[in-house]
Amino acid sequence: MTATKSILAVRDLRILFPTRDGRETVKAIDGMDFDVCAGETFGVIGESGSGKTTLGRALVSLIAPTHGHILHDGIDPASLSTGQFRKHRRDYQIIFQDPNAALNPRMTIIDSVIEPLEVMREGNDVSRRRRGIEALERVGLSPETAGRYPHQLSGGQKQRVNIARVLTLRPKVIVCDEVVAALDVSIRGDVLNLFTDLQREFGLTYVFITHDISVVSHVSDRVAVTYLGKLMELGPTEDVIEQPLHPYTRALLSAEPIPLPSTMRIDKRIILEGEIPSPVAPPSGCRFRTRCPSVQPRCAAEVPAWRELKPGHAVACHFATPDGPPPDNQKASIAP
Amino acid sequence: MVTVTDLSSSTETCTQSAPAPRLLDVRGLSLSFATGDGELPITRNVSFSIAPGERVGIVGESGCGKTVTGLSLLRLLPPQSARVKGEILFEGTDLARLSSRKMRAVRGRDIAMIFQEPMSALDPVFTVGDQISEAYRAHFPVSRAEGRERAIAALAEVGIPAPERRCDEYPHQLSGGMRQRVMIAMALICKPKLLIADEPTTALDVTVQAQITDLLRSLSERTGTALIFITHDLGVVAEVCTRMITMYAGEVVEDAPVDDALMRPRHPYTSGLLRSLPGLSQRRGVLPSIPGRVPPPNRMPAGCRFRPRCSHAAAGCEHEQPMIDVEPGRGARCWRSPDLVLPGAVN
Repeated sequence: MTATKSILAVRDLRILFPTRDGRETVKAIDGMDFDVCAGETFGVIGESGSGKTTLGRALVSLIAPTHGHILHDGIDPASLSTGQFRKHRRDYQIIFQDPNAALNPRMTIIDSVIEPLEVMREGNDVSRRRRGIEALERVGLSPETAGRYPHQLSGGQKQRVNIARVLTLRPKVIVCDEVVAALDVSIRGDVLNLFTDLQREFGLTYVFITHDISVVSHVSDRVAVTYLGKLMELGPTEDVIEQPLHPYTRALLSAEPIPLPSTMRIDKRIILEGEIPSPVAPPSGCRFRTRCPSVQPRCAAEVPAWRELKPGHAVACHFATPDGPPPDNQKASIAP
Repeated sequence: MVTVTDLSSSTETCTQSAPAPRLLDVRGLSLSFATGDGELPITRNVSFSIAPGERVGIVGESGCGKTVTGLSLLRLLPPQSARVKGEILFEGTDLARLSSRKMRAVRGRDIAMIFQEPMSALDPVFTVGDQISEAYRAHFPVSRAEGRERAIAALAEVGIPAPERRCDEYPHQLSGGMRQRVMIAMALICKPKLLIADEPTTALDVTVQAQITDLLRSLSERTGTALIFITHDLGVVAEVCTRMITMYAGEVVEDAPVDDALMRPRHPYTSGLLRSLPGLSQRRGVLPSIPGRVPPPNRMPAGCRFRPRCSHAAAGCEHEQPMIDVEPGRGARCWRSPDLVLPGAVN
């Protein structure tokens, strides 16, 4: 990755939702700042409740920030008129996890694929259809697929249709929200390879949101680790995977089940206690402190500053050093 | 043949004197569903056995038949539409031929099962304590008070803090990981000899998944309960199980000690699955994948079912493939297996 132009600039982003009874507030995103560079693949990793899905939707203007801004190539979409926004948003697209839910079961594949072009009022019936077929072929589907219905396709094929549909618009940025989570392992590789090829061909920028560390580490140039609506760590993928600085990242990597024989799994496994607290009432200070094996009194009192400890590699932990996370306290449970 | 009264009353005594101790022996299990268009075959000739205390992973992708195989062992498939052939020998008794009443005495008592989504397996209007003690009281005539005591002990056993308080809570008051712990407590309260776990961690976050897999392994080690762990996740199998059975398109294609299967798979499908996983260290580059897709159940190819997707397919693969013993304790459904060197999880 050589480009450093910021195509998505997230500034002091907060997104709050009222709970159903309206008495409390869910802090889905509670202060995030980062940039996504043009042409890169930016990975976002997190468990449920981390705010990663809300973030993905906000990045493509499906959810408005409660506070702060998201700039698209320097433009704040919130400042655009309805007409301008309509034209603008075609450059910022999203693909969702469930390939079934994203396709209308009563529409043929080609009708689904060219619908965005119709919405944009681009070209005529003939040219739209031609572009639709081209897009299907580009994602590895035969032209005969065009006349079929979603139920006649496999999960992998349906996800390809969703990719083709987004491609017709020639977007600059595609947010991929758990796009391979619903696919079987043996075809996941194919779809991930397709994403890589398309990026090379069209100069796309990806934001890859997933809970799967192996997927994110395979595709991303940089990776952001989220927990309870905040960034814990952000840096080049190799650095974050091979030498994590935050205790949460280290635990997350250690929890990933690795298909290796017992003799080759030498690392001591860190098993975190408890589960993610509710985003309605997140812990004071550092949000991870209730489960952190290295917790100190200061962690409850003070929100950790965002510190860049190595070039391009930043972390939100009082005690992290460029050499890694702080050592575990004695009471931490470490299973062999 | 063990009589059924033996089966439901004996706890420790082994009434069999077979040489190799086998807890479960599944022989030639074939399953099909009656549909409007006739019989739809789902699994064919599934055979495997489980030793007491053994932890076996059944892996495969969606549609391979791993879930229905698990359900069929406890006869939980709808009897109107499911046709089951073959034998399910549990301590010598064929469960497939047991009366419904006798089968009920086995379920939950000798063999228990947990599922992927704990919320849909728990009743929202009863406390978790009631539900756990009900599982015990269905098999043992104890008082409500004793049932409650046992439920509290079971909750403590699965690592739930403050079990006396949690016992009186409803499922919605618990997190996903806690609910799965409740399911495990319920499944193990009668000290079954076999626990069937169908994707028990798939709905959980990875840090919670690590807790649950750790719990299942240590409980199995401590209590001697054998485990059948059904999953699509080879990493989880590597961490929990001692043996791995790979299924493809309704058939068992490989059966091996887990470390051997991961290092040196002997069936091309197992090898393909392992190579498709994006490794943490391997970045960028082209990910290998298995071309094509699983054929639909009513259009299975003749001979080896993996043949259309297999890069090692050759003349001879169009013949029916039996499981062959490739090594002591290892089987593969591939006649070419003895001649193939297949890459595993590490290369």
